Amino acid sequence: MPSSLSCAKLSTWIAAAALLQMIGLSLFVLGFFPVKPALSGVSGPDSYRVPKCDSAEDRDEMPMIPPDQLRSSYREMSGISPFYDRLILVVIDGLPAEFVLGKNNEPPTMAMMEAMPYTQALLSNGKATGFHAKAAPPTVTMPRLKAMVSGAIGGFLDVAFNFDTQAFLDDNLLGQFNSIGWKMVMLGDETWIKLFPGLFMRQDGVSSFFVKDTIQVDYNVSRHLEAELQSDDWNVLILHYLGLDHVGHIGGRNSILMLPKLKEMDDVVMRIHQSISSPHDTHHRRTLLVIASDHGMTESGNHGGSSYEETDSLAIFIGLESKLPEYAPATCKTVSQVDLAPTLALLLGVPIPKNNAGILIAEIFDFLSDGELLRALELNSWQLLRLLQAQLPGLLCSNRAYSYLEYERSLRDNACKVSSVEDKFGCLFSKATALHDCWRSHEGRDVRSNRESVEFKETLVAYYDFLTDASEWLSWRATDKPFEFLVPGIIALLVSCCLFLSILFRLCREASLRRKHQHLDSLNPKMELYLDETFVIVFIFILVISMGSSSMVEEEQYIWHFMTSTLYFIFLRKSIQLLLTAEAQKLRNGNKGPWYSKYYQFCSIVVVLVCGRVLRGWHQGGVNWVHLPDISTWLEKVGPHFIQLIKLGSMLFVVSFGIFGHCRSKSKGIFVLLIRGSFFVSGLLLLYLMKYQDHTIASSGPSSTLIAQIVFLILGVTVIVGALKFSWTVPLSNDASSAEPLSMIYCSIHQHICDPFLGLRCSAYSIGWIFMTCWCILQLLLQRPTNAMPISLLLLQILASMLYFSLHGHHREWVEVAALYFLGLAGHFGLGNSNSIATIDVAGAFTGISSHSTFLSGILMFIITYASPLLCLLSMIMYASVKDEGALLSGWDVDLGVLLQSLIAFPCVVPLSLNSVLLTTCTIILLLMRNHLFIWSVFSPKYLYACAATVCVYIGVSVVAATGIYVCSIYFFRRKISSNQYTAAKNPN
Amino acid sequence: MGGPSATPTPPPSVSTATATAVHAICGLGLPLSNWIARYFYSHNLVSNPLGTIRLALAVQASLAILCYSFLRRDRNQCSLWKAIGRGAVGLVVGALVMAAGAIVLGAPVGIKYWAKTAYWSLLMSSFTVVPAASVFGSSWEDWKRLFADTKPSGIVDYMVCIPAHAAVIGAWIGAWPMPLDWERPWQEWPICVTYGAAAGYLIGLVVSAGFILFCGRREQHVKGD
Repeated sequence: MPSSLSCAKLSTWIAAAALLQMIGLSLFVLGFFPVKPALSGVSGPDSYRVPKCDSAEDRDEMPMIPPDQLRSSYREMSGISPFYDRLILVVIDGLPAEFVLGKNNEPPTMAMMEAMPYTQALLSNGKATGFHAKAAPPTVTMPRLKAMVSGAIGGFLDVAFNFDTQAFLDDNLLGQFNSIGWKMVMLGDETWIKLFPGLFMRQDGVSSFFVKDTIQVDYNVSRHLEAELQSDDWNVLILHYLGLDHVGHIGGRNSILMLPKLKEMDDVVMRIHQSISSPHDTHHRRTLLVIASDHGMTESGNHGGSSYEETDSLAIFIGLESKLPEYAPATCKTVSQVDLAPTLALLLGVPIPKNNAGILIAEIFDFLSDGELLRALELNSWQLLRLLQAQLPGLLCSNRAYSYLEYERSLRDNACKVSSVEDKFGCLFSKATALHDCWRSHEGRDVRSNRESVEFKETLVAYYDFLTDASEWLSWRATDKPFEFLVPGIIALLVSCCLFLSILFRLCREASLRRKHQHLDSLNPKMELYLDETFVIVFIFILVISMGSSSMVEEEQYIWHFMTSTLYFIFLRKSIQLLLTAEAQKLRNGNKGPWYSKYYQFCSIVVVLVCGRVLRGWHQGGVNWVHLPDISTWLEKVGPHFIQLIKLGSMLFVVSFGIFGHCRSKSKGIFVLLIRGSFFVSGLLLLYLMKYQDHTIASSGPSSTLIAQIVFLILGVTVIVGALKFSWTVPLSNDASSAEPLSMIYCSIHQHICDPFLGLRCSAYSIGWIFMTCWCILQLLLQRPTNAMPISLLLLQILASMLYFSLHGHHREWVEVAALYFLGLAGHFGLGNSNSIATIDVAGAFTGISSHSTFLSGILMFIITYASPLLCLLSMIMYASVKDEGALLSGWDVDLGVLLQSLIAFPCVVPLSLNSVLLTTCTIILLLMRNHLFIWSVFSPKYLYACAATVCVYIGVSVVAATGIYVCSIYFFRRKISSNQYTAAKNPN
Repeated sequence: MGGPSATPTPPPSVSTATATAVHAICGLGLPLSNWIARYFYSHNLVSNPLGTIRLALAVQASLAILCYSFLRRDRNQCSLWKAIGRGAVGLVVGALVMAAGAIVLGAPVGIKYWAKTAYWSLLMSSFTVVPAASVFGSSWEDWKRLFADTKPSGIVDYMVCIPAHAAVIGAWIGAWPMPLDWERPWQEWPICVTYGAAAGYLIGLVVSAGFILFCGRREQHVKGD
């Protein structure tokens, strides 16, 4: 029968599909998680100079200037007199602007108006100016605070990798205030304190965890208010009120607590405003009061997503010395939340933070003189231009800096209609600066400052053109997904998925053809046969669907356990069928056939099921049912002795598998003995290490690190030497005695005694055995002590499945490989992992590492997290050796490629295809859910796990493939030599 | 267990009418028990799962044992009482199997749950194992044909096999909402699984009745020819 899919062709296709998958994945990741080139460092005096083409000039180290001097130099250079020397920022968590300013130019409801009489009065008589400040998703507190103080729009990874709040190091307003020697006081949400540790002169943080509390959180802030308003040692006072957000979380927008809470906030505003505007302020300080909210809330009071209700946050400026508009502003402008940063920076006389993407709010600066207003716009433009230069390196370098004359010429075609983004921004900026220069020159002649002058208006418009375009482009870069990356990425993923599936399909068809050809198809040709296959397909289908539901993603461990157990129940049913058939045969004709092997099968499936249930009960993973009791917490409660005992038992099991798993081998005693010895020694070392795990503090001692390193070394050497050497030591010949090594698993079936490929199987089996044992010992070393038992249960499950599959031959091979793979993923959750980043075991990742190395501990973390899937993938080598596919090949004269294909094609293709289906689904769902409320908390961590699982499958499959190729080629080489010797011995005669 | 008889007597035929009646009786058991629970004890499956399942078990098990004992295979050698006894044994043994299966598939284990699990598995057993035990006794061949190979032939086979499988599949599907975070009281073990099993069983009865009617008509048609 001509093989329609040769080995070379097959491997080429697999490699092509894998490559395509990698390309697609990286395109998607690059597109979906854009790495925003944030500028490091802080804006200094150079931000008052014109940016040049090469940004090298920005790098020069600023000499240490004392804060006072710096402040005055800022004042001098800015050309704008700073108007305020004190800032009170009141952040009301979760207050939608709609409550204060109304929606769609309608005033807020009467009840809302009455709840905040003072604020409304300030707004209506023009003492305050309010804005709808559009917040960018994710609308949760920490990223919003960062946006307000730095003006930067965070990228995806900014959130994904900030599981817990860490110090905020990018350039921001508070840092700038600190550098000019301002003293700051912080009261309220402790997120600020985590973001800016050590920056506040006085602080009183309240935790935002107790959502049920709506009174105490705000009282804890307000109780200091009187004293702080009296004292004059601060320049910046930040108040962060959490109560309103808590009210929303409890009862939604229309909670009965909402109006009293608004009233309370109004009282706070009144107290502060009356205090700062009181005439007997001896210091003549000008204080700016800003009321802002970090995000809004939905009808039900939640937030995080990108709906209008959630992003509609508030910004009110009180205390502006503006020329009062005579009319009450019925319409409130919508600005962006990031606009707060440049506005505050310019008002308070500090440089605009480097990564700011906002534009100063023009209405606030109405009171400035013309020159100062244009100067402010110019400063903002310079800052944005620097930021643009970081992303568009060619900006302003094309020597196309427009002179004014040139501009006059191009004035006829008014707009900057150029193709490239660089040119467009260059043109807009040059136009604005040219107009500004022009205005300056006119100003010299024409003393009267006239807002109505054409030059002024044109300059203003030109600056705003540049600023809005630049700001939009920058924020689009940060939040919007570039579909030109995502679409090809997804297409590549889909194509590779289809490729994998078609390869799998062709392999299956070929396998069944081969079986039919050799009349070896012991499978029942009826519909029955397809039950397991159908179920695997249904399984995958259900998985694919369940990934779209956030709660199913959170509780994924249940799906895996439930479906894998059901699959094994189907196997159990099959084994009962066989058992009953065998029973009937035995009764009927006293068949002495190996009917007892059917009992083995039955029992092995029962073992797999029971172990699976224990594994499922070991860790209560997920999100919603974590509080339910599980075995690991029970063990921890009972005490360390139980854990030690259990760990001892599992170590005994693993090491004895390592020692006796190969026990009946008579092949080359000394070598096998050596390997067993190394397992034994590592077992002893683990035992020694357990002493340290008693007391967790001592576990970081140098001797335990050394011992762990020795274990790493022993295992590494054993794996390498064993894998390389074993193929040479096992006997080639097919005499019955050498069948012994496999007898543990499958030699109860006679037909294999005359298997021509026994030598090959022997070496593959042995290498698989070494890999699995070493992996388990490594896991026993690295995993938490409570996880020792699950590791051995997993090993037991795999061995039992192996026994079942080797005795069976009644399932399609791909179903068996898929079952092993599913077992691995179910075990992944059984070891306590989940789809939340929080369950990654960080502590174990420092075992045996003497100096801190992110790379090494990253590898160890990966090994710990993907212990179970990798174990199952490594077991594929053993699986390939115990399957009797080779027996279907005809005799000795077999091509290496055909042999290789029959040995490892399925173990490689099935995991790759299954993972490809899951990864592609995950990708598509991530894209579809990009505006979902849980995109940050559920879907994106899940996606990170899916990517890591892909890496894990690649590693596992390449190990399997490399081992298979190595073993087969050595086998062929040796056979060739031996046959040459044979003929050489024969010929001379 | 007694081996299969050397030459099995041809199974006594069951008329379509009898089969439909048995279906109707068994199908009415669940609504009846639900009605009793509602009107006499004023509780339902969600408010009092244990009591409701107990009641359903009492009704369903007695109905199933009685009905199917009348349909027993070997009427010549086996008295009605013996068939009822077989059904009772089957109830307990089947419950053990069902409980083991449910626990392996993830049913919670603990003192708090054991009564629920026990009653649920007895109820499941009365859906699945009891009819087969009453009808076939310990004839391995028949058990294998129905449950291992799923190759029912004849009216009685359909009556035993289809509702049993449907109940198991229904319970399997019914377990799906359990891990979700909907915070509904019926997500507790074994409420939604019981709902699923009951729904599956009732559907199975309907399907089986349909099969029997359809096949019976075709058989008559063939005979007419």
